[in-house]
Amino acid sequence: MTAQATAPVVDIRGLHKSFGQREVLKGVDLTIAPGEVVCVIGPSGSGKSTLLRCVNQLETASAGSVEVLGTEITDPDVDIDAVRSRVGMVFQGFNLFAHLTVLENCTVAQRKVLRRPKEEAERIALENLERVGLGDRGDAHPHQLSGGQQQRVAIARALAMDPQLMLFDEPTSALDPELVGDVLAVMRALAEGGMTMMVVTHEMAFARDVADRVVFIDGGVIVEEGAPADVIGNPQHPRTQLFLQRVLDPTHAHGTTTD
Amino acid sequence: MTTQTPAAARTGHVRARLSPRRRRLVVRVVQYVVLLAAFVAVALLIKWDSVAENIFNIDAARALLPKIPRAFGNTLLYMVCSFALSIVLGTLLALMRVSEVRLYRIVSTIYVEFFRGIPALLYVIAVGLALPLVVNFSLTSTLLKVTIALGMVSSAYVAETMRAGLQAVPRGQIEAARSLGMSTARTTMTVVVPQAFRIVLPPLTNEVILLTKDTALISSLGLMIPEFELTKIGQNALSSGAGGGLTPMFVVGACYLVITIPLGIFARRLEAKGARSRS
Ligand SMILES: Nc1ncnc2c1ncn2[C@@H]1O[C@H](COP(=O)(O)OP(=O)(O)OP(=O)(O)O)[C@@H](O)[C@H]1O
Ligand SMILES: [Mg+2]
Repeated sequence: MTAQATAPVVDIRGLHKSFGQREVLKGVDLTIAPGEVVCVIGPSGSGKSTLLRCVNQLETASAGSVEVLGTEITDPDVDIDAVRSRVGMVFQGFNLFAHLTVLENCTVAQRKVLRRPKEEAERIALENLERVGLGDRGDAHPHQLSGGQQQRVAIARALAMDPQLMLFDEPTSALDPELVGDVLAVMRALAEGGMTMMVVTHEMAFARDVADRVVFIDGGVIVEEGAPADVIGNPQHPRTQLFLQRVLDPTHAHGTTTD
Repeated sequence: MTTQTPAAARTGHVRARLSPRRRRLVVRVVQYVVLLAAFVAVALLIKWDSVAENIFNIDAARALLPKIPRAFGNTLLYMVCSFALSIVLGTLLALMRVSEVRLYRIVSTIYVEFFRGIPALLYVIAVGLALPLVVNFSLTSTLLKVTIALGMVSSAYVAETMRAGLQAVPRGQIEAARSLGMSTARTTMTVVVPQAFRIVLPPLTNEVILLTKDTALISSLGLMIPEFELTKIGQNALSSGAGGGLTPMFVVGACYLVITIPLGIFARRLEAKGARSRS
């Protein structure tokens, strides 16, 4: 138990991923310690989602190894479903089950995967819906909720499985600006509660305030990583500098000459 | 010409022609006249005095009436049993069709192409007459024969419909299920198939309508009296020489409509509801 507490939750070594001829990840090494919150930032198409999806095998690695919660998931004989049931994932597009109510969304995997009895699954689902501020919307259908509410249900759905690691792929990118805050508040509370999190995001304020470590990825490699104050506040690499300049000051996207 | 300002030229042009609104009105009036003329032409082609005798013959209809409830029930029974087989087999074939296993895809494709390609009547006759001779179990039940014949033919169409439905389920739904630890099979049963069913419910209802009408084909099998369905009693009444012309056919036709029209309305409602919830 003590050994597991210190062993990394995620241990990625020499990860390569190609789609056909196109190499998207070109040798990534990354470890995430228990309770750590790691934000992954980088330009569009740099491979952030691909990296995140390799952590629960929604993409299979082309080369290298990925160890999650002590299990080598790049092993072809791995029981990936067992690992995934302990790793929550939140998608950019929410992906709530359209044919189920909010409550059923949060109970279906508990019942079918963890084999929890109905009452227990519903109790845990409700607890988590309360946690994201939607305890009263259990009977609603996903299409009756706003994007921000749907995303919070998606977080509750993942949390109901008692995950030991949460993956977020741009959870607020599809939301109207005024709905972003509610989702980020839920994520911040989760981080403060000690959840191990890997978050792909364009929300620099969130990364700066909440992350223990920020990883900047570009062209399929990690260009720079470190404490948020260093990577976001005082980036060393020119590519990081250019990216942050564009993100933090989008109206002066090409302002390098005016400096 | 050249001295005219462009504005004047345009005004002159508009005055010379009808406004679009008035033009639509004229076109509409012409359409109505043509439609009315068509009705009149049809009415003139019909010998009205023999219509009452040969098509709406009350006596012939009354003679047939006692046989209708059982035949109506049998038609419904044959339809429901066939559809039950059709939906199960069709869903299985659709899953095979979108499977990653090539052999399953091939088997399913051959099945679907075969049963869509042959006339249903041929297969009904084959199942009714030939199949009992070549299987090593006793195939005597008419209901079983009907279910096999109509259900297998219908399943080919259901498979095509279901395949489209399975493929219309968004990829993200599958990824969400897998990320929660559901296996491929579990994901298929709890997420993909239920959502595909919702998508294809309107076209599936149309398949039920087709199946209802296809139960008429089994009148070509040797049925026993308690097994008669609507078309069979209509045919028997026709050939009994009791008079009344084609009246029995019109009576059983109306019985089919009692089943199919509500189904059609149901399908359109579902379609409208689906369009609303997607927008
Ligand atoms: N299934 C796929 N098949 C082929 N190419 C893919 C696939 N998924 C991703 N790619 C390509 O891999 C590259 C990296 O994609 P990825 O989604 O990881 O980028 P990203 O950093 O998440 O970008 P964004 O910020 O736009 O989400 C892109 O060029 C993309 O076109
Ligand atoms: Mg992405």
